[in-house]
Amino acid sequence: MARLGWAAVAVAALALPALTGNTYYLYLACSIGLLTIVTAGLNVLAGFTGQISLGHAGFYALGAYGAALAATRLGWPLWAAGAAGVLVAALVGAAVAAAALRVSGPYLAMVTIAFGIIVEHVLVEWVSVTGGPGGIFNIPKLPVGRTYWLIAAAAALALWLTANLRASAWGRALLAVKSSEVAAESLGLSAYFLRIVAFTISAAFAGLAGGLFALLNGYISPDSFTLQTSIVFLLALLFGGLGRLAGPLAGSVALTLLPEFLTGLADYRLILYGSLLLVSIYGLPAGVVGALAPRARPRRSADGAANGPGPDAAGGPRPTAAPAVIGSAPLLGVERLGVSFGGVVALAEVTLAVPSHGITAVIGPNGAGKTTLLNLITGYYRPGAGQIRFAGESIAGRPPYAVARLGVARTFQTAQAFDDLTVVENVMVGVAGARLGGLAGALLGMPGARRREREMRGVALTLLATLGLGARALEPATALPAGLQRWLEIARALATRPRLLLLDEPAAGLSPAEIEELDRRLTALREQGGPAIVLVEHHMELVMAVSDRVSVLDYGRVIAAGSPGAVRANPAVIEAYLGAPA
Amino acid sequence: MRRSASLLVSLSLLCFSAVGAEAQSKEPVKIGLTAAVSGGSAASGEAIKRGLEIAIAEINANGGVLNGRPLQLVVRDDEGQPAKGVTIARELVEREKVTAVFGGLHTPVALAQVAVWHELKTPYMGAWAAGTNITRNGQSPNYVFRVSANDDDADKFLTRYATDVLRKGKPGLLLENTSWGQSNETGLTKWLGEKGLKAVGVEKFNWGDPDMSPQLLRLKSAGADHVVLVANAPEGAQVVKSRAKIGWEIPMVSHWGISGGRFAELTGELSDGVAFLQTYSFFGKQNERGEYVLKALKDKYGVKGPEDVIAPVGTANAYDGLHLVALAIDQAGSTEGAKVRDALESLKAEYKGLIKTYRRPFTAAQHDALTDTDYIMVVWRAGKIVPLAAK
Amino acid sequence: MLVQLLVTGLALGSMYGLVALGYHITWATSRTMNFSQGHAVMVGAVVAWTLVVALGWPLPAGLLVTLAALAGFGALIERVAVRPFFRSASPAWLLSTIACGIIAENVAQLLFGKDARAFPSSLTQRPILVGGAGFYPQELLIPVVGLALMALVQLFYHRTPYGRQLKAVAWNAEAAGLMGINVPRAVMAAYALSTLLAGVAGVLLAPLLNVAPTMGTIIGLKAFAVAIIGGLGSAPGIVLAGLGYGVLEAVVAGYVSTGAREIVGFALVIAVLVARPWGLLGEPPARRV
Repeated sequence: MARLGWAAVAVAALALPALTGNTYYLYLACSIGLLTIVTAGLNVLAGFTGQISLGHAGFYALGAYGAALAATRLGWPLWAAGAAGVLVAALVGAAVAAAALRVSGPYLAMVTIAFGIIVEHVLVEWVSVTGGPGGIFNIPKLPVGRTYWLIAAAAALALWLTANLRASAWGRALLAVKSSEVAAESLGLSAYFLRIVAFTISAAFAGLAGGLFALLNGYISPDSFTLQTSIVFLLALLFGGLGRLAGPLAGSVALTLLPEFLTGLADYRLILYGSLLLVSIYGLPAGVVGALAPRARPRRSADGAANGPGPDAAGGPRPTAAPAVIGSAPLLGVERLGVSFGGVVALAEVTLAVPSHGITAVIGPNGAGKTTLLNLITGYYRPGAGQIRFAGESIAGRPPYAVARLGVARTFQTAQAFDDLTVVENVMVGVAGARLGGLAGALLGMPGARRREREMRGVALTLLATLGLGARALEPATALPAGLQRWLEIARALATRPRLLLLDEPAAGLSPAEIEELDRRLTALREQGGPAIVLVEHHMELVMAVSDRVSVLDYGRVIAAGSPGAVRANPAVIEAYLGAPA
Repeated sequence: MRRSASLLVSLSLLCFSAVGAEAQSKEPVKIGLTAAVSGGSAASGEAIKRGLEIAIAEINANGGVLNGRPLQLVVRDDEGQPAKGVTIARELVEREKVTAVFGGLHTPVALAQVAVWHELKTPYMGAWAAGTNITRNGQSPNYVFRVSANDDDADKFLTRYATDVLRKGKPGLLLENTSWGQSNETGLTKWLGEKGLKAVGVEKFNWGDPDMSPQLLRLKSAGADHVVLVANAPEGAQVVKSRAKIGWEIPMVSHWGISGGRFAELTGELSDGVAFLQTYSFFGKQNERGEYVLKALKDKYGVKGPEDVIAPVGTANAYDGLHLVALAIDQAGSTEGAKVRDALESLKAEYKGLIKTYRRPFTAAQHDALTDTDYIMVVWRAGKIVPLAAK
Repeated sequence: MLVQLLVTGLALGSMYGLVALGYHITWATSRTMNFSQGHAVMVGAVVAWTLVVALGWPLPAGLLVTLAALAGFGALIERVAVRPFFRSASPAWLLSTIACGIIAENVAQLLFGKDARAFPSSLTQRPILVGGAGFYPQELLIPVVGLALMALVQLFYHRTPYGRQLKAVAWNAEAAGLMGINVPRAVMAAYALSTLLAGVAGVLLAPLLNVAPTMGTIIGLKAFAVAIIGGLGSAPGIVLAGLGYGVLEAVVAGYVSTGAREIVGFALVIAVLVARPWGLLGEPPARRV
């Protein structure tokens, strides 16, 4: 269906020049193409990583002025001038991103708006280079008919690159960051770095379109690169369908042609334009593409089985990373760890040793600081005092993704599946971890990158199969019921081949049958030489059944530690749980 | 056919429908307009549109062009954006099949469109944007014509007024930060140089700026003995108000922008004594066409009097420009762009217009119908525009 | 010269602050805002002009009706452009408020006219000259009224029961809803108040700036910058940032150049956010793991 749509678009684009010599229609098609290129890039930023920019007219301008100056002042050939424009936009884009992406939401919107306005005003003020408000004339230009082919090819390229990116480890990583930054970082992904990459790609695309814009018109001036232009870019993307591969094209067609249908209306034109926008936002909450081809929703679960191996195909869990042998030192050593929030002590003097095998449980009443402990170990909070050593290295204060890269995986109290990805893609994010491969290979869909994709998919499917999710591998993650989302999260964490796995209340919300299943799987993991496990859990029966060691936290302190049996008999523990001495 | 000779200027609007009916029956000849009719400069587009509509109604009432074909106006809003302007240019020619196109206030839009007119061989008549290189664009044959000021000529005129009439030698330039301001910075610097003078300061402001006192203070401390202003009415009004605020009694000589859009209303008595250039003024005694156009403005658009004509130059330029284009179409005997262009460049008919009497207004070397000898210097007095004695 | 620049800067800056406070109010209650807040400035000026200047109403009556109209306009924006998308995942409210702005500006052009009109005020007839500097009485009135209004808004939020309810919604809409507060109505009230403040800025500025359908765009944008610099969640931060930004603009324009004004101003916005990502007095949201 989608394929048919793309084919129809391609045929229409190829046939247009033969059907009409009318340069108005060709010029409109060129405008659609330019807008498609910009919005395809913006889709990588806003659609994949969820960050909104209202300053991309600035990059469009950099591309246009870069190309125009290279062609007129330096006399470069057109292709080299265009490349220069892309390069300038990409470099500035990376620099702006490094500064801007420390913030998000409306703050990011403001930084990008400010950037766009600065560019516009620099173009006006720097007369000796940019020609000032009057702009640059006499840019070598091709006839509209030939520029059309150039722009059509570039637009096709832009859409193809984004489609490749979406299907790669990079694309999944970007979408993961959008769905849950916290979970993405727990798999070794640096959200900040990935957003910079996305921002830079989108800036480069805008630069490309800008260069072509200069070539198409032969004349540029700052008036073409205002905040208004940036807003139109974003409108086109949102209108077409944020995050959808065809969204940029659909939105560009709509937002280029819509005003043309209204040209005759004189004073009522913009009122009608605004009203149509408003009505279509109601009517098309997911954009044009979202309305035409709604995202697949669950309902049937049979499809997956045909493609993936059956639940038992792999015949049991595969051993994860070979357990490291580090003499007698514990794999994870927490010493006198303390932290307080706003003067309230959450943890104090917590000491915990986790050997490289077996299951260590951390229990305690609500608010005892169990999850805080996990967040400190995995880098989400900075400790106020004490030491955390993992495999002999001090990791206190390192960012979550850096801790994850050392081989520490975790799950969350409320399962954080990546909503925009399918079940198998969720696990593939874990399989790839920080090893995303070459960006160019991903964009171009190179054979090497594709081969790696197949391998990762195989690994992920096998893992899902062992956890009983094989049949649902191709469904959107959101389609899974809460219980299965927990399994998915555990599968994703295991996919990183961790040496240490931290589970935050995995039994919460599970049915008794599911808890039994959990018990069985955890035991199997331990026996098959899986990672060391730290289990934070309320469900006493489970803890007592699977744990090798138990530490008990109360009011931020360790009040008991030892074998399950010893802890169960400890009077302090009984008091903490029952609130009174036994 | 010498339509101009047979044209009864003072024909009343009532007669239009009767004579017009005959003209309507034949295929109309389309005339395009690309101008900003929305946004901050919407008033300029509106003024041009009025001038064109009045002239078209008049011509159609008298039998149209090419033996009875009526003229029809096609208006497009370019929003002052060059890219939009290029789209519109192609649409007007390729889809609407217009014979000629009129242009609006924005110099960058006009510059962006120049290549299109030549590619599609369609004559363009500038009615406002004064950027020097719109008409002096290096193309041959040149499809771009203009009945409006040309900044280079305007700057020559303003410089001459300041040095020869006011006898001042230390100009401070206060320009809007747009391509129009830039075009005048070039022109003024050139013509001051001819007189062996140099501006003591060049200050700029952006559209919508609320306060111009910093710029004026800098010019004052630089020792300016008069201010040359290049601004549209809203910003011009802020300049005049800021000047009063800092208490600086200084002669002001202004380009024509301040005549558009209720400058007098915005400034009250503060505008008294500000001298500026015009191609035409609806104040004072009018020639026959002036009476006619003013009446048409009153009847058709509810304009109360000359002070209510929001952008007189736009209306006047467009009105005369359209008559010239109509004459050229008749002379060419065709609606073909190249032929109309040739006819414009060698117009045989004399046209007694609103601004002046046009005899051979365009040549291959001169595509501006109005030059510095056609400009007049006027001054605001109690909310009215009063012509100053020439020279 | 410095005095001159300070007066101008404070007048404009207090208006940036007033409009920016509107962004803060709606953001705090609903995590949305009106991206066409600048158009509310314009609506205030245009309605007041129509009533007082064109129709010749007495000033108090005209102002009262203008205020009512502004509150209604804000409520309308909330109902039409925000509520349908309240807390939806996509930033649809951003698009829809921009669309509302386009409609408002062009309806104003149609009804009000395309050219700027004067809004005569007895406070802008004669400038007061002091030494080399001069200012219009209106310029002194503006920051006084502006700061007084901002103080009133703070009092309303901290001292009145209804203001406290609005604050509760800001804190946690779900919990507020459970406690029996009508959340949609609270959001609508926030929009009405936000629009009202912006519109008052429009009325105050009209005698200085003239009235035109496009008059609000730049003020709206700079107010947004101010809201962000100050910290969207911090009303005092916004007021300070507004005054600071106004003065900075005037000083840069006075001592460097007008062209440098926007470049320096917006570069500063970026610099502030790089150094303090949640604004000068803003607090980062707690990281939820």
